[in-house]
Amino acid sequence: MTKATAARFGGHLPGGKLLRFLREIGVRVYAVGIVALVCWLSFFALRYLVVTLMFPSKAPPQIIGIPTRLDRELLQTRRSQWPGIEMIANPRTPPAHYHRVDGWIQPDRFNDCTQSGCHLALPHTKRKEVRAFLNMHATSIQCDVCHAQSNVRPLALTWYDLDRGKACDSPAALRAYEFVTSEEGRKQLAEPTAAVQKKLVDLLTAASRAADGLYALQQLARHVASVRPTSDAFQKLVEAVRSALPRHFRGEYGAKLALRDPATGRPILKHPETAKAVTEYLEGGTSLKGAERDALLARIHPQKRAEPLHCTDCHRKDDSLIPFGQIGYPPARQEALTGPTIFQMIQNISAGQPMNLPSFISPSIPQPVPPQPQATQPSM
Amino acid sequence: MTALVLVLGSVARASDPDNCLLCHQFRGLSRFDVDGNLAHVFFVDPSYVQQLRGPHARLACTDCHPRDQVAVIPHQTVSRVSCVEICHLLEPGSTERRFSHGNIARMLDAGAHSLQTLSQLQFAQGPLLRDKQALCLYCHDEPLFRSPAAVLPTIDVTDPRTFDRCEVCHAEQIPVDVAYYLRHIAARLQQSRPPLEQAQVCAVCHTDPAVLKSHEMKDAVASFVLSFHGKAALLGATNAATCVSCHVHAGENAHLMLGHANEHSSVNSRNVANVCRSADCHPDADPQLAAAAVHLDLPTAWGSLEFWIAAAFIILTLGTFGPSLVLCVLEQVQIAVGREHPHAPAVERLVEKLLAKPEGRLRLQRFTVNQRVQHWILVLLFTTLAITGFPMKFADRGWSRAVVETFGGLHVTRTIHHWAGIALILGLFVHLMYCLATLVERSRERTPAGRRVGLFKALLNLPMVVNPGELRKTCQLLLYLMGRRAEPPSFGRFNVKEKFEYIGVFWGTTLLGLTGALLWGQQFWSHYITGRIFNIALIAHTYEAFLAIIHVGILHIVNVVFSPHVFPLSRATITGDTPVGELAEQHSEFVREAASKAGITESTGEVYD
Repeated sequence: MTKATAARFGGHLPGGKLLRFLREIGVRVYAVGIVALVCWLSFFALRYLVVTLMFPSKAPPQIIGIPTRLDRELLQTRRSQWPGIEMIANPRTPPAHYHRVDGWIQPDRFNDCTQSGCHLALPHTKRKEVRAFLNMHATSIQCDVCHAQSNVRPLALTWYDLDRGKACDSPAALRAYEFVTSEEGRKQLAEPTAAVQKKLVDLLTAASRAADGLYALQQLARHVASVRPTSDAFQKLVEAVRSALPRHFRGEYGAKLALRDPATGRPILKHPETAKAVTEYLEGGTSLKGAERDALLARIHPQKRAEPLHCTDCHRKDDSLIPFGQIGYPPARQEALTGPTIFQMIQNISAGQPMNLPSFISPSIPQPVPPQPQATQPSM
Repeated sequence: MTALVLVLGSVARASDPDNCLLCHQFRGLSRFDVDGNLAHVFFVDPSYVQQLRGPHARLACTDCHPRDQVAVIPHQTVSRVSCVEICHLLEPGSTERRFSHGNIARMLDAGAHSLQTLSQLQFAQGPLLRDKQALCLYCHDEPLFRSPAAVLPTIDVTDPRTFDRCEVCHAEQIPVDVAYYLRHIAARLQQSRPPLEQAQVCAVCHTDPAVLKSHEMKDAVASFVLSFHGKAALLGATNAATCVSCHVHAGENAHLMLGHANEHSSVNSRNVANVCRSADCHPDADPQLAAAAVHLDLPTAWGSLEFWIAAAFIILTLGTFGPSLVLCVLEQVQIAVGREHPHAPAVERLVEKLLAKPEGRLRLQRFTVNQRVQHWILVLLFTTLAITGFPMKFADRGWSRAVVETFGGLHVTRTIHHWAGIALILGLFVHLMYCLATLVERSRERTPAGRRVGLFKALLNLPMVVNPGELRKTCQLLLYLMGRRAEPPSFGRFNVKEKFEYIGVFWGTTLLGLTGALLWGQQFWSHYITGRIFNIALIAHTYEAFLAIIHVGILHIVNVVFSPHVFPLSRATITGDTPVGELAEQHSEFVREAASKAGITESTGEVYD
């Protein structure tokens, strides 16, 4: 190393032998780093040239990364993980499903029931009458809420983040809806300021992000952000937000409800000391029969309710097991979830009665008298 | 546009008269068939109906799914939807029309995608459709209207007054019907899908290994994205040619696609030129343009002229970049192992003495102000060309789209690239004039014997010209750096690496300029040259650009920015002051010459009077 080079690296600074030695070592290590970087970059550059000439290319992920089969693997990926999905507003849906898939079921990495390999993200498969309805809940409610024993009424619940498995605020979509429908929010939005506009945009953006970048919410946020808060266009867009948001309460929150540990406030997601039994069960497979199987299942599900919750335990106005207000559901959404239409439909279906569409969809048509609930409860 | 349709959302709810979306809007309304390893997804995007996003948005669910099967919950076993059944559509004015896609089925049967062919498809991962599902689903999902902005740019659908005139007669239907039909018609004036979506559709079959093998086809989608059409699709262009643009005749129905061997096929060698020259594409081109390859994937074109040209460029890259890489790495290795340049301390002392005098400092400046300005113009243009060109070369990388969108889209990016290219060519021309002026000036100088130097000798003495002696010195440098020689060679004002880089700029700018002009003016040039020349021009342009970028981006940047001799930046082309370490090790001959002219000796440092 020349004197000038040493000087360039601080050689002019005062220092003893040790300092000079360290400085020289530093320069040498730096040179090694440069060699490594140059070799690495050159390797990739030259490899690229050879590959383009010698190996047939493949279509890029923006084109072939979109799933074509609705299989088990797909249920374990978030839509945002589909390669190249961010490149396209309206990706081709898997051929077997004709309708648009603008979002996808969000897998839960922190749910023991699915991560163990025992249950799928769509776990309910048995009763045709209710399995799809129950699976619909699996996207926003952790299994234990309905299936684990709890004597607390209403249930102690918390939202947890699907990315981190930690307790979190209520979903941004719900908070946005609260903002645009609550009295206080309406007041603010009637005389909007830049801060009010920003709050709405932030909530919509967060809701879109939580829903794996849902395009419709993202666009809504962009539109709200692009107008002056004092303009008529802003008021029109606020109205559009009020109208559009309920279409996004479909289990795409990036969060789920779980039972809350009253001591720590954390969500209860794990089933401690069941791993060994799970392994035994999975290894045993179909060879497990009768009492042996039952015993093993009992060890796997020590907290399991004898009978899972019934739909109407929650979907009711009074004495609902889910404290909708406490966990962040705005009144308008609570009304939709606990209103008579859903209540009656559930009563009817769970009683094993077929339900004719026109009888419940049109308020102008007289509603059928709901049959008395029977003992039969939906199960997996 | 979105704002409008969102506002209209509430008005349009009548499109779900059976209120199926009450349940079917939920993502999880699904079940998994463990035996078939398939999820049965019953989810329907409600915004499709509520915002009237496509031509099927005004259909009720029971128009396709038999009412008697779905009107009861839980639903009975629902039969498969048949797209060729006759249904009753309500037209404007409340007239009813019987409608069916049956004619499409007949078209398909006459083409390459006959129902029999589709029904026999075997996919690598197993069947994509369930038993008896409509074969249309291989290509079609819920159809969406494309934005009218591309074909009706002057209509502002977000302006409420746009529909004022319509309201005179259609007040009760405004704005839902008019907005709906406007978008419907606008969508029909363009291809039904943007290019990237179109490629996704075709890729379902045309990239599947099992389908390709059974039909003895190449991966046409992979080669499509190597063409400019495909790159444009990846970079977000909404008007690029898609598979449908070429594989059916202009204006013809996409379902009439024929195999290329069929003499009626649009891509049959007899017809393909007309496809290229259609009014929407290259109307002024000569038929020769059709010889340019749209599906050229070099590895599958083994033995072709294009393949060997590409191979030659790779060899050229290895032959030019390789030695420079070896020199660059070995120089850094000298520093890493602590090997001292034997003459450096003495030359450093000489440099310090020179720097102590204003005249000496001036003599050590290797670049004149004029040259420095030229260098930074080159830097600016080269960077612009690299930033705008690389996204087109690597269109399949995620960052490319982001870069292109930052510039304002592919059209703007290309325009910048073209004009920066022209500026570079002009810059080269100006530099040639500068060289010529310098040459003439030096040729008029007198030798010590009093004779004029002459043009030839002046040319050989130009500082950037490589002479045979320097090739020998390069070998000596290599041996020295490899430890096979004790004494390093000495270089003058410009060392051999710099001279080769300079020659590279000449060669590269000329080649890139010529091939770039060919590619830019394909329609014009097609009247004079065959389309295969465009293939070669593209290969030359892209490989030469790649060579230039790796040479500059890796080696030149290390030499002038990151090397310990110059870190954090050589100021030779900014202030004119070359770092002392660099002068000592790489330009000792130049330093000694400068010292000699300034009257400074290396041994004593005394000044000659």
